Parts: sequence; structure tokens; C-alpha cells
Amino acid sequence: MSDPSQTSTRTDSVPNSSAIESESSAVHRASGSDPKTLTNRSAASSTPSRNSFGYRRFSPRRIATICTNTLTELTRLKVFYFLLLFGLLLIAGSVFLARFSFQQEFQILKDVSLGAMSIFSSLLAIVATARLIPQDIEDRTIYSILAKPVPRFEYLLGRLGGALLLLAIAILAMSALFLTVLYVREHSVLNETARQMASAPAEQTNQALQAVRASGLNPDLVPVIAIIYIKACLLAALTLFVSTFATTNIFTVMVMVFVYFIGHLQGTAREYWLHEHGADWITRVFLAVVALLFPDLQAFNLVDDAALGHAIPLMIFGKIAALGMFYIAVYTAMAGAVFSAKEL
Amino acid sequence: MSNAAVLVRRLTKIYPLPFRRGSVEAVRDLDIEVSPGQVYGLLGPNGSGKSTTLKIILGLVNPTSGETRIFDQDSREVASRVAVGFLPENPYFYKYLTAEETLRFFGRLSGMHGTALRSRITELLEVVGLTGARDRRLSTYSKGMLQRIGLAQALIHRPQLLILDEPTAGVDPAGSREICELIVRLKNDGITILLSSHLLAQTQEICDRVAILSQGRLVREGSLMDLISRRGQLELVLENAPAELLKEVEALVTLRGGRVVERRQSTNSLEQLFLEATAKRTGQK
Repeated sequence: MSDPSQTSTRTDSVPNSSAIESESSAVHRASGSDPKTLTNRSAASSTPSRNSFGYRRFSPRRIATICTNTLTELTRLKVFYFLLLFGLLLIAGSVFLARFSFQQEFQILKDVSLGAMSIFSSLLAIVATARLIPQDIEDRTIYSILAKPVPRFEYLLGRLGGALLLLAIAILAMSALFLTVLYVREHSVLNETARQMASAPAEQTNQALQAVRASGLNPDLVPVIAIIYIKACLLAALTLFVSTFATTNIFTVMVMVFVYFIGHLQGTAREYWLHEHGADWITRVFLAVVALLFPDLQAFNLVDDAALGHAIPLMIFGKIAALGMFYIAVYTAMAGAVFSAKEL
Repeated sequence: MSNAAVLVRRLTKIYPLPFRRGSVEAVRDLDIEVSPGQVYGLLGPNGSGKSTTLKIILGLVNPTSGETRIFDQDSREVASRVAVGFLPENPYFYKYLTAEETLRFFGRLSGMHGTALRSRITELLEVVGLTGARDRRLSTYSKGMLQRIGLAQALIHRPQLLILDEPTAGVDPAGSREICELIVRLKNDGITILLSSHLLAQTQEICDRVAILSQGRLVREGSLMDLISRRGQLELVLENAPAELLKEVEALVTLRGGRVVERRQSTNSLEQLFLEATAKRTGQK
């Protein structure tokens, strides 16, 4: 505690320049550091590149860093595995659904599997993206990130990019299982058909086998899966936009569930409105605003066509994909505009 | 044109309350200037506007009026942050990352990569004493360790200016002492440090200059010594001085027109006692 041999005496009328010097050296004594050693050490380590890292206004490398970190973060979420597992179970389980003919079997398999992919990827897009920004703000991790030379728009792009990568992984996993199941069933049916028609003329057998192949695994499924992915990306972008002004994950998820249902119904509602009220310019503007706020998700639903074995024309695919990209771009830009002005 | 590391001019920040219920004035007409190489303390009670000021300087919050500059560059420009390292209050990082991954993440955000980044990570982990916990996830870190990894991420890109928001908040005295020592070492290295703190004893020990805020307004500002030294008074610490000598000194002081204001036993600080006691205990184990 006190040192009995030391006495402190305070007196008036003394200049204090020496006191400043002694205070300064006292700092070094108190910290137990040797200024000379520290200077040398730091000089050796910091001279070559202090502030020599050139700043770029736009850096794909920074975006990629945030993107991969977001993917790591999301793949650690239990909800990702639950949703993926449910999707995979549903696809695998569709094999055991009732069937009367191979056409019906393939139709049910495609219907259930593509439907499961669409629903679970949409849910994953909403649930995974909703937490990204509010969680970073709540944990104050965002302060450390944005205090680095990282523009806010890059941060958003990185977060969205991570979510889109997660969706890509989920859809790839579900597609791989779906296509494998379809391939296995198709071969099973082909073998059975070939066995049953062993005594039939070759031409008739070929026609039957062709019919099986046409309704089984074919390239027409690829654009349908691509559109399911684009729809999930659209929902992720819209969720990101909502989360820029939402304060909690729950609020964002609730709003997005609402948007999801409205988005699936708005196409029908629009047609009914136009039919009943005509198409004057006020109606058109109103419908355009509604269509922007609530994307026409039904336009992205190609599952029924795919299940029935209808090929998706390239033009239709291109239009729907372009519509999806447009929505994604608009929502991302809107998220950027709101987030850039947000007080953190 | 200014040579200041940080320049704050007539800064005002007013937060409007929802539903037009009025507004909260967080900062009003604040002027501060931090010179390069200084350790500058921003002091004040809770709600005095310290954190708001730091957030505005970092571009996290927009000012209602006034300007903030970092090395003569508008601090709202993202490019100004190349020169800045920031440690937020009670930092929280991605807990699924290890210390090394965390530093790599922040290093890459700062434009570093490759061998330069790897060697900088190793160097910083050594500086903050976390080399042994390099591969541990941050979810297993104590508060003091999180604070140290926070300091390391703030330093990763060798910033010229370090902004620390309550750097020793919630850290035990030993950890707090280490952070203070590190700040002094960084100062010796020529780094400018702007910090906010509630711990006045530590601030007094490390700061060259301080600003005291109260209800968003600057109430005192200046060199620490100018602000706290008592005009015309000097403390003289004597060792092994016999009572007669003390009497003679006091008599001489009185004779020459001075006045002995106070005479008291020298003491250690409680912090010093705590550090010595806990160090001995640790040593015994």
C-alpha cells in the first residue's frame, strides 16, 4: 500500500515544465515499456507498407471476402440443414407415392420434387437473408466492417452474394437427388418395358421406350430448375431490401411471407382487375407499382408445365429469367439506396 | 488545408424522435482537433455524445451539420478509412471464426493479401498475446481476449489513426493494463490515437490531450497537464527524509514566500496493489 519512507509535499509558486517532462517519462515507467525497443520493433514491422494499400472505389476482392464469409456463416445455421433435409426427404419420398403408370409416376415425381425445391429454396432465401443485416447491426460487427475502407454497397453485394451461393448449393443438392431419383426410376421403367415387350416388334418397342424417355429425365428440366433458382434469388434480394429498414428478423420474415402470398396471387388479381375496370393509365401505373412491390411470383412457376412434360421455349425462359434479373437488380439498388443513408 | 489527424468543426447531431415527438440533441457545435502522434481522450458521462462523435468521424452516422475530416480528407469518404483502425465498444466478431480467420477477413477487407497478410497476422497475434489461441474460435474467447483481437483487427492494415471506443470496458485490471501499455507503444510508434473512456485514471495516464463532453457540448478541452495541474503548486516526493529535514524544508519554503499546502504519506494506487497481488498469486501456482 503506502510506502512509509516516502512523503509527498505540495507547495505553491513553482513552474511546471519539469513536471510535464517527468509525467511523460512516468508513462513509460508505468507501462513498463521501453520506448526505444518498441520504436525499433515497430519501425521494422511497419515502415514498408504503412497506408500503401491503394484504395479502389469498387473491389470485387472485398465483395468476394464478405461473400465467402457470409456463406460460411449461413452454412453454420441449423435452419439451412433442416430446410435442406426436408427438401431432400420430400424428393426421396416421392418415389413411394401412388402410381398407376410410368407417366403418372414421373409426373408426380417431377411435381413433388420441383415443388419442394421451389418452396424450400424460397423459404431458405427469406430465412437466411432476413438475419444478415439486422444481426450484424445488433452485434455491432457492422461497425468493424464499415470502419474499414468498405463501401456500404459492396457490403450489401457481399452479403447478398453469400446468400445466393447458399441457395445455389441447396438447389444443386436437391437437383442432384431429384435427377438421380428420376434417372434410376427411368432406367428401372425402361428395363421393365423392354422386358415386357421382348416379344413385340422392334419398332413398337422403340416407340414405347422413346415415350418413357420423353416423360422421364430430359434437358427440359434444366430451365425449370434455373427459374426456381432465379425466383429464390429474387426473394433473397427483396428480403435484403426489407431488412435494410426492418429492425428485427421476425419483422422481415413476416413481411416476406406476406409478400410471398401476395406475389403468388397478384397475377390473378391483376387479370381480374383489368377485366373489370379496363386499363386506363391510372390503373396501369397502380398495377406497375403493385407489381414492383409484390413481384409476380406466379410468372416464375413452371413446375406444372415441367411435370406435364411440356418443354419451356427458349424465348419464354429468356423473358422470365430477364424479369427475375430485373427484379433482383431493382431490389438490390433499392436496398443500396436505403442502406447508404441508414444511421448505424 | 489542415495538418490535423482528426478535425471536427461545428459538429451537430440531432436525432429526430419517431412520430414527431421532438428530437434528441446528441452533439452540439463540437470543435476538436487531434494532432498527428497524439493520444486524445474523449471523456464524458453516458449519453454525452462521445460514441456519436466517433461514429460520425467513422462515417457510420451522418452529421446534422458541421464537418469531420481525417488527415484533411472528408471522413464521409470511404477512402479516408484507409488510414483508420477502429475498435468498437464491447467488440463482437463472427464467433464461428478463429482469431487467424478473423484477422484474415479484416485484412482482406483492408486490401491486404498473400504473404504480407499472413506475416502481419502472425505479428499482430504476438503483439496482442494471442499466438497460443490462434486457432481457437472466438466463441471460446473471454471478454479480454475479444478486446485484444479487436485491437489486432483495428491495427491489421497499419493505420495512422486508431479510434478506440471504451477500449478497456469490461476488461479486468491486468487486461486493462496491457491495453494501456499497447496504446503507449503505438503512440511511440507514431500512431495517432483517439479514444473515448470512462476510466479517468487510465485516461490521465496515457492521454496527451482531452476533451470533456457533457450533454453533447464541449465543456473542457486542452492539454491534459494544462487542465489538471494546479497553478503554482508542485509535489515533491521525498524518500527516507528524517522529520528534522522535513521541518527545515517547510521552514525554508515559508521563509522564501511559499506555502506548504499539504503533507501526506505517499501511496500506491489500488490498481498497482491488485496487479502485484494477483501476479504473485499466479506466480505461486
